[in-house]
Amino acid sequence: MESNKKYWKGLEEFKSTPEFVENNKNEFAEPLPIEDVLNEAGLSTVTPRRDFLKALGFGLGAVTLAACQPAPVHKSIPYLVKPEDVIPGIPNYYVSSFNGQSVLVKTREGRPIKIEPNPNAGVYSQGTNPQAQASVLDLYDISKLKAPVLKNQETTWSKVDEYVKSELAKVQASGKKIRIVSSSVNSPSTLSVIADFIKVYPAAAHIQYDPVSYTGIIKANENSFGKAVLPKYNFDKADLIVSFGADFLGTWISGEEFTSQYVSNRNNTSLAKGKMSRHIQFEAGMSLTGTNADTRLPIKLSEEGPALITLYNAITGGNLAGGVLPNNTAAEKAIKLAGKELAQMKGRGLVVCGSNDVSTQILVNAINSAMGSYGTTIDLDTPCRRYAGNDAAYAEFVNEVNRGEVGAVFVLNANPAYDSFNAKAFADGMKKVPLKVSFADRADETAAFCDVIAINQNYLESWGDASVYEGYYTIVQPTINPIFNSRQAEQSLLIWSNNPVVEYYQYVRNNWEKNVLPLFGKSWNDVLQSGVVFATTPKAAGSYTFSLSLASVAPSVLNSSKALAKDIELHVYENNAIGDGRYANNAYLQELPDSVTKVTWDNYIALAPKFAEKLGYNEFDVVTVKAANGYTVELPILIQPGQAIGTASIALGYGRSKAGAAGNAVGQNAYPFLAFNNGTRQYASNITIEKTGRRHELAQTQTHHSFEGRNIIREATFQEFVKNPAAGSGNHGEKHKTYDMWDTFEKPGHNWVMAIDLNACTGCGSCIVACNVENNIPVVGRDEVRRRREMHWIRIDRYYTINDGDNKVTKEDEVESLDNLDNVSVVHQVMLCQHCEHAPCETVCPVLATVHSSDGLNHMAYNRCVGTRYCANNCPYKVRRFNWFNYWNDSRFDNYLNNEFTQLVLNPDVTARSRGVMEKCSMCIQRIQTGRLEAKLEKRALRDGDIKMACQQACPANAIVFGDGNDPESEVSKALRSERVYYVLEEINTQPGVGYMTKIRNTGTTIQA
Amino acid sequence: MRNISLIIRRVWKSAFMFTALSVLIVSGSKAQDVTEGRTIFKERCTSCHALDRDLVGPALQPIVGSKDEAFLIKWINNAPALIASGDKEAIEASKWNPNAEMTAFPTLTEVQIKSILAYVKAGEPKKAGEPEGGAVQQEVSSFSIAGVIAVILISIIVLVVLGRAIQMLERLILTKQGVVLVEKEKLPLMAGIGQLFKNKKFIFFFILCMVAVLSTFGWMGMWNTGVHTGYQPVQPIKFSHELHAGVNQIDCQYCHSGAFKSKNATIPSLNVCMNCHKAVQGRDNNDGNISPEIQKIYNALGYDADKMSYDKSKEKPVEWVRVHNLPDFAYFNHSQHVVVGEQAIRKEKGLQPNEPVCFACHGPVDTMEEIYQYSPLTMKWCINCHREAELDVKDNGYYTKIIEAHEKIKKGEKITPASLGGLECGKCHY
Repeated sequence: MESNKKYWKGLEEFKSTPEFVENNKNEFAEPLPIEDVLNEAGLSTVTPRRDFLKALGFGLGAVTLAACQPAPVHKSIPYLVKPEDVIPGIPNYYVSSFNGQSVLVKTREGRPIKIEPNPNAGVYSQGTNPQAQASVLDLYDISKLKAPVLKNQETTWSKVDEYVKSELAKVQASGKKIRIVSSSVNSPSTLSVIADFIKVYPAAAHIQYDPVSYTGIIKANENSFGKAVLPKYNFDKADLIVSFGADFLGTWISGEEFTSQYVSNRNNTSLAKGKMSRHIQFEAGMSLTGTNADTRLPIKLSEEGPALITLYNAITGGNLAGGVLPNNTAAEKAIKLAGKELAQMKGRGLVVCGSNDVSTQILVNAINSAMGSYGTTIDLDTPCRRYAGNDAAYAEFVNEVNRGEVGAVFVLNANPAYDSFNAKAFADGMKKVPLKVSFADRADETAAFCDVIAINQNYLESWGDASVYEGYYTIVQPTINPIFNSRQAEQSLLIWSNNPVVEYYQYVRNNWEKNVLPLFGKSWNDVLQSGVVFATTPKAAGSYTFSLSLASVAPSVLNSSKALAKDIELHVYENNAIGDGRYANNAYLQELPDSVTKVTWDNYIALAPKFAEKLGYNEFDVVTVKAANGYTVELPILIQPGQAIGTASIALGYGRSKAGAAGNAVGQNAYPFLAFNNGTRQYASNITIEKTGRRHELAQTQTHHSFEGRNIIREATFQEFVKNPAAGSGNHGEKHKTYDMWDTFEKPGHNWVMAIDLNACTGCGSCIVACNVENNIPVVGRDEVRRRREMHWIRIDRYYTINDGDNKVTKEDEVESLDNLDNVSVVHQVMLCQHCEHAPCETVCPVLATVHSSDGLNHMAYNRCVGTRYCANNCPYKVRRFNWFNYWNDSRFDNYLNNEFTQLVLNPDVTARSRGVMEKCSMCIQRIQTGRLEAKLEKRALRDGDIKMACQQACPANAIVFGDGNDPESEVSKALRSERVYYVLEEINTQPGVGYMTKIRNTGTTIQA
Repeated sequence: MRNISLIIRRVWKSAFMFTALSVLIVSGSKAQDVTEGRTIFKERCTSCHALDRDLVGPALQPIVGSKDEAFLIKWINNAPALIASGDKEAIEASKWNPNAEMTAFPTLTEVQIKSILAYVKAGEPKKAGEPEGGAVQQEVSSFSIAGVIAVILISIIVLVVLGRAIQMLERLILTKQGVVLVEKEKLPLMAGIGQLFKNKKFIFFFILCMVAVLSTFGWMGMWNTGVHTGYQPVQPIKFSHELHAGVNQIDCQYCHSGAFKSKNATIPSLNVCMNCHKAVQGRDNNDGNISPEIQKIYNALGYDADKMSYDKSKEKPVEWVRVHNLPDFAYFNHSQHVVVGEQAIRKEKGLQPNEPVCFACHGPVDTMEEIYQYSPLTMKWCINCHREAELDVKDNGYYTKIIEAHEKIKKGEKITPASLGGLECGKCHY
């Protein structure tokens, strides 16, 4: 049975607005902009005949002269002394780690070009997050400073050292305090360096804070169990997950790791065993996690507290006051039902909450304790060290500087002038500090206040280590010599504190050989090779019981909630691309569409459709957003189905003013909306909005490609699936009939195919960035995205569908009143070239630039393409991309790549495409060719798994499987034999090479919104 | 044309070499042992010794002059044994360089060692203007071409003059006979040509010829646009493949080690050159000075030959000019061809067993004084080979299953790269 749900990509499609219908008629957004181009070039509108002839004559002459050159002179410069392990043309891999995740760094001729997950890394061996993939670009960022800065002048390190040491001595003598302010540090060596520094300067102290803070959880655990730690969450052990605003698949603590865990209970392997976890999400804004939930209910921020009390009462049968949601009966009903189920889970349930309020988190602890989660789904004995920030300590530091008690401030991996709730107080206080040193790599918002910018190195140039869990250590080793005249912050601290160990490399090594390696019986060389050490048998998680009274906690939670219940409740959040703003100057991340809204290069204020209508706003209207503390910004409105009515969401990480060419002036800063209450940062606040009368079109990729309402998403409930694994897939034991107008060609060798599990894909976007980096895909910028010219070879389509309970046909006229738009569910579908057997693009190419291969791929020969764009018009999957410009060498696209440094990030095995040619997913053909050649050189058969696609490798959910369809034992063949498999648009006889597995939603009968 | 001139040059060269060699053999009958000694010396000794300066081992001429021949013979034959036996002189000698021990050459006969000593005593024979001879030959070859052209021109002139003379004589005879000459012949040349162009048939013929000639040249020109067969740029160091790969028989892989592992054959880094050129300094041909070309290696590396030390601050990489330029959009992998496809290529190109597989595309590198592009490197040329060459799939596990499956479809046909998809665009263009 085929699904009869209606899926829609955006409201404009849903409502079939005239613009949408008009836009949809064409593959390309607009006719050829010849006039624009001529105007841009400054030519007069009328071209005189003489000028024309002159240009013609000159052109002809120039071409003739150019053609006369006998042979191009290319210089070829070999190494003077070749490093022994470098063979030009063959990549070398080094282990390193990115934010604590062990990764492999692929280098070519000494330059890092790609980040890949380390398969031996234990907890983090599957996939990476988008930031890790994009981080190679930061290495070559020319917005960074090229030499250390002293009093706004570029200088040498010896002068910096002289100045800092003498100033430190003065501060020491004056008896003032010294403060090292950083974001959470989990590197044992860095912590040790700081400790050594403090020994030499006893007035020093280390203040850690995080822009997006988890102090609430840490303090709550200290209060409840006497352990001030962030626990290790085990989503893989949870059969029922209830989340209150925690975006645990995206940005909450460790999204990629949780994704791997979460999906292991929901992917094809798990489904084949008849097992699937359930996930219920209550949240205000639509988060990546919310889109993946089996059941998602919007609740206001002010309802979160009462909702948790309701849940507590339902699980324990307790009777805490305030457990009612008078204005949200649907949620209240659902919470009560969930509570009943959770009460039976006994160690297989998990409740998480995104709040940073200590009382709220104590309540969550009480709930988890009542369900017996401690010891199974929550592990307090293997603490997570990813976040250790203390909001209160930071607040006290700001007071200290303002009181003039601080003589020196060192800022490490932090940007308090941008990302703190009281940036102005920080800035004012800094003026009273005699010695201000920043370890930023660029003159960022904070470094601008500092006397010294001791430019730090990128992690790819550094030695170091990390330990994101207790007993789990990863190494950071350099893969390239420093590109600019930079020095590691730790090295600087060693020098300034006259440490007997001069080299930080030696320091790290000593530290490991003394403190870490003996625990595991490994040598330093072992670690340089494996990148990670951890105990093979993890420490058993102890069971903890919550035994405190909630008598004072519940009223505190209710008071905070009550205080929020006015005006518009604002939820500031991180999105999956930009995060907290640290990587805002990364063009790959700026152009990575938001997982839910598909907006690039901007932040916005998201409002529910009905709410926006009530307030009288349309999409893209720019409004003035006014916070209670007086901060105002102007932001465009985005209509977000599923947003709780009465709430608004604004993403953090935008509005950087000193990030660099790509990141400056993109969106508005939302950090000033933060409040500091009860000793923690609060991410919920109240705002009012006012019209400005202006309009700002957001660069969304979502509605750029329409499938004209064809049935391309197939979905079933878990109950249907258990009865019939083929449910909803459209397969009734027989495949669609196929027809051949031409002779069929055999594929005797390989047959490259792919399987994508829609139930595993969470829509995080790692694959998109990995593909960009691997295949030299250019970033085009906001204006070009608005013109529908983004170049991504792989995209993630987000489809909304309305939950009406019983899968009835949902026609537009039936839901004209926007009643149900609050209650939508979402499907993410990865879309890339389907490598059709009967590819519609191939038959229309007049120059045979795109043709089929004998191993099942649809080849694209760029040098043959003349740019007629017929193929893109004829592609039913809308995956072909046209190069409107030389994006990598055109001053109009000065995003990141138009300089000799950043171009070093290009993959030398893939052509950088020129203007005027079509491109699309090549199925990483360079990787296929390399894999085959390796097998041939070793005279062995190709093994399954030898060749991995860039997207597959980056996927933390393992949703993408690639391999040889001719090998019946390959993983992909097995996956494609699943009854859940269907092919998108197979009814039009394209015979795609990419199979999709149905989306399964575990909507039980007990909870039905 | 480049090809032809090169071939001519090569023929001249080898002819000259042959004569020079025979002259040497004839004249050298007296210095038989010196010649033999020189050969052995070059083979066995030069990596550590030079005649007149210290290397790893001491300069030999002063030593051979001062030491007893019997001792030297024993020493050269097996120095370690001699030292072990407690010979005082030997122990003394071994102290010259405590870090390196004189290698034993037990295979050398006494006669051979004597020859070496004779050569060392005699020093490098003065060669009778070998380089000058080469230059003369070179000039002769270009001179002879000019001569041929001159001869042709002179004969044309002679013919024209003779023709005129005959005409004059005829006219004289005719006037003597009293025949009145028609004025027609006195038309000026230009007018005559003008007359000719009034002839429609001639015009037609002329245009036809012009069209034929121009279109032929145009057609050939277009096919050869961007084809640089014979391209031979001037390189910053006059490196001779003829000497290294030809005369010295150094394996291609020794320098181009990437070819068997990577897509790039790789231009060797200078430390590879230094493996030999630390000792081989070409002083023989340069009046005892380091050859200027070898000096360029030293300069690039900041190497001081006298102090035998490197100065990193003086490093300056050598900028070679690429000879083989494939466009960026064409992917070519050396290891695929020289390792996986070696047998197929040998068979297809008919290489001799002693020739390296590289010759299939790079031509007779061992005879190239300066390297030039031998093959056209056009797509047509690539594809031809992919169509024709029969794959060698024996003993390669990768092909087993593929060929099995392939045989089911196309029974018994020759298996070429093309039949396994080697002509598909995406195999080389991505």
